[in-house]
Amino acid sequence: MIKQIGTRLWKILTSFELTIGSLVLLMALVFLCTIAQVQLGTLGAVNHYMRSWIVWWQPQNLGVSLPVFPGGTLVGLALVLNLTASTIKRLAFTWQKAGLWIVHTGLILLIAGEFATGAFQVDTSMAIEVGQTVNYVESPRSMELAVIDTTDAAYDDVYSIPEATLAREGSIAIPGTPVSIRVKKFFRNATLSALAPGSAPSMATAGVGPGVKVVGQPAVTRDDDVNHTSAFIEPLAGGRSFGTWLVSTDLGAPQAFTNEGRTYRLLIRPRRIYLPYAITLKKFSHDVYPGTDIPKNFSSLIHLSNPSSGEERDVLIYMNQPLRYDGKAFYQASFGKGDTLSILQVVGNPGWLIPYISCVLVTIGLLVHFGITLRRSIRRRQGLKEG
Amino acid sequence: MRKPLPTPLPAPGRRPARRTSRSLVPIVVGTLALAIGCNRDDVAHYRVPKDAGAQAPGMGMPPMGMAPGGIPGAGMPEPPKPSGKGALKWTLPKGWTEEAAGGMRFATLKPPVTGKIDASVVVLPGTAGGELANVNRWRGQIGLPPIDEATLAGQRTVLKTKAGDLSVFDFTSEGQIKSRMVAGLITTADGNTWFLKLTGDAGPVGSAKSDFMRLMGSIRLD
Repeated sequence: MIKQIGTRLWKILTSFELTIGSLVLLMALVFLCTIAQVQLGTLGAVNHYMRSWIVWWQPQNLGVSLPVFPGGTLVGLALVLNLTASTIKRLAFTWQKAGLWIVHTGLILLIAGEFATGAFQVDTSMAIEVGQTVNYVESPRSMELAVIDTTDAAYDDVYSIPEATLAREGSIAIPGTPVSIRVKKFFRNATLSALAPGSAPSMATAGVGPGVKVVGQPAVTRDDDVNHTSAFIEPLAGGRSFGTWLVSTDLGAPQAFTNEGRTYRLLIRPRRIYLPYAITLKKFSHDVYPGTDIPKNFSSLIHLSNPSSGEERDVLIYMNQPLRYDGKAFYQASFGKGDTLSILQVVGNPGWLIPYISCVLVTIGLLVHFGITLRRSIRRRQGLKEG
Repeated sequence: MRKPLPTPLPAPGRRPARRTSRSLVPIVVGTLALAIGCNRDDVAHYRVPKDAGAQAPGMGMPPMGMAPGGIPGAGMPEPPKPSGKGALKWTLPKGWTEEAAGGMRFATLKPPVTGKIDASVVVLPGTAGGELANVNRWRGQIGLPPIDEATLAGQRTVLKTKAGDLSVFDFTSEGQIKSRMVAGLITTADGNTWFLKLTGDAGPVGSAKSDFMRLMGSIRLD
């Protein structure tokens, strides 16, 4: 019974129909994903169609989502299994087939590279003004509640609670401190306005929140939109409540409370990842073609300072010439504030080399296969002549 | 010369290679699952230098002036600071210094007292939420519960000054290390509300309080 199932599964896995079916599904996914970018934005569409096991659809007026199409991850997995199984089944492990083995390995690696990118790539940004030194990157799509102990004169202790944890609501202990945060209400996106006289009172009892009205909104999906993440939180310490505070990306003023002589700031901001090195923007250049406003080049001259390695050097980052350092690539992405602010896109992808390696493998494989075939052809001709 | 580490020998009658490859599967799968799924939702802790990125413009933050109007503390441009006749003035007690203020502050004052202490003058347009809301905000900052209008009257001390009546409050927190806040607020004729605050650990604040009360008593509008 098990053997029969195994044989049948092996037959399906090695079938040409599965290859064609997977390629057709991938083409359909690419088409749907391209169309969906109008509504969902690039990232939203890629996550929905390509980096998912199943494509879900939620009909209007129906509370549940329905699976309607296999996602890119599932189709990609089917394709890579099919390619691997077919290669093992059909290609004899001989020198004559060495080129084809290398080509197939390259193709499998190419698909595996996309899996690695989907699982491990971290996209962040660094906004840096001329003369400023920054030692962190920020995630533009994910927020955090930062509870910052500002008591010490020389340093801050930053406790970062990720958005996913806030979204679950409930109580969160701050490790190493007597403080815990009770998340009473979380809004991934919200609009804030001044509370009108006679309105229902705010949930907040401390900070600036009592004067603010909060209305929840659907989370944004377009690339150029930003969630205004907000939450009502209640800090607790030693059995005492410090009131309910409104924290939001829309509130710029610092809010803080003091417990046992230690002052804690509360703010929601894009999630930060601190780096063991610092970058100073020395100069930002926005070159245009002479006599026009047409951009010719954007570049950031930065100074890289790494105390742990003693590295001190200047680097020029410009279009298509990123700084690759510490497993991250710093690309010139945008600018602002009258050309005094440079925005670098910072991409950390442990699998960034895989597509290059797979392309090299495919090229080598084709050359080897061509060489073997050519050699065989020349020998055959020689055999015919001699015969 | 470094010696190679001893390699464990396989037990007789076993097939070590096969066992190893089998036992590797859950380890590899587990490691991948941990790498992908863990540490993303934990509370992370960083110790960073005080000024590192303190003024950094946040990605994803609304640009200046895009914040919803009328929200106290929203990221909108600061209101112009009063000057000339509209600006409150005071006499510094002996040993006190005054520093140029930034952000929402009108002035930062430095008492000659060691320990955790901070004295500030803040001015906001309008009533800035009213007396009760501000008093409860201050109380919340040191872990004291909010009070109502009736209790507020009992907590208020009125200080007669040349600029008008200044409402003064003095709160001390609970806990082993107590925090204390002495704060006065006054609304001037041009509609601005001024806040004079002395905050910090209860000891240093207690030492500086008498000087601070004299400073608050000296406020005037020239």
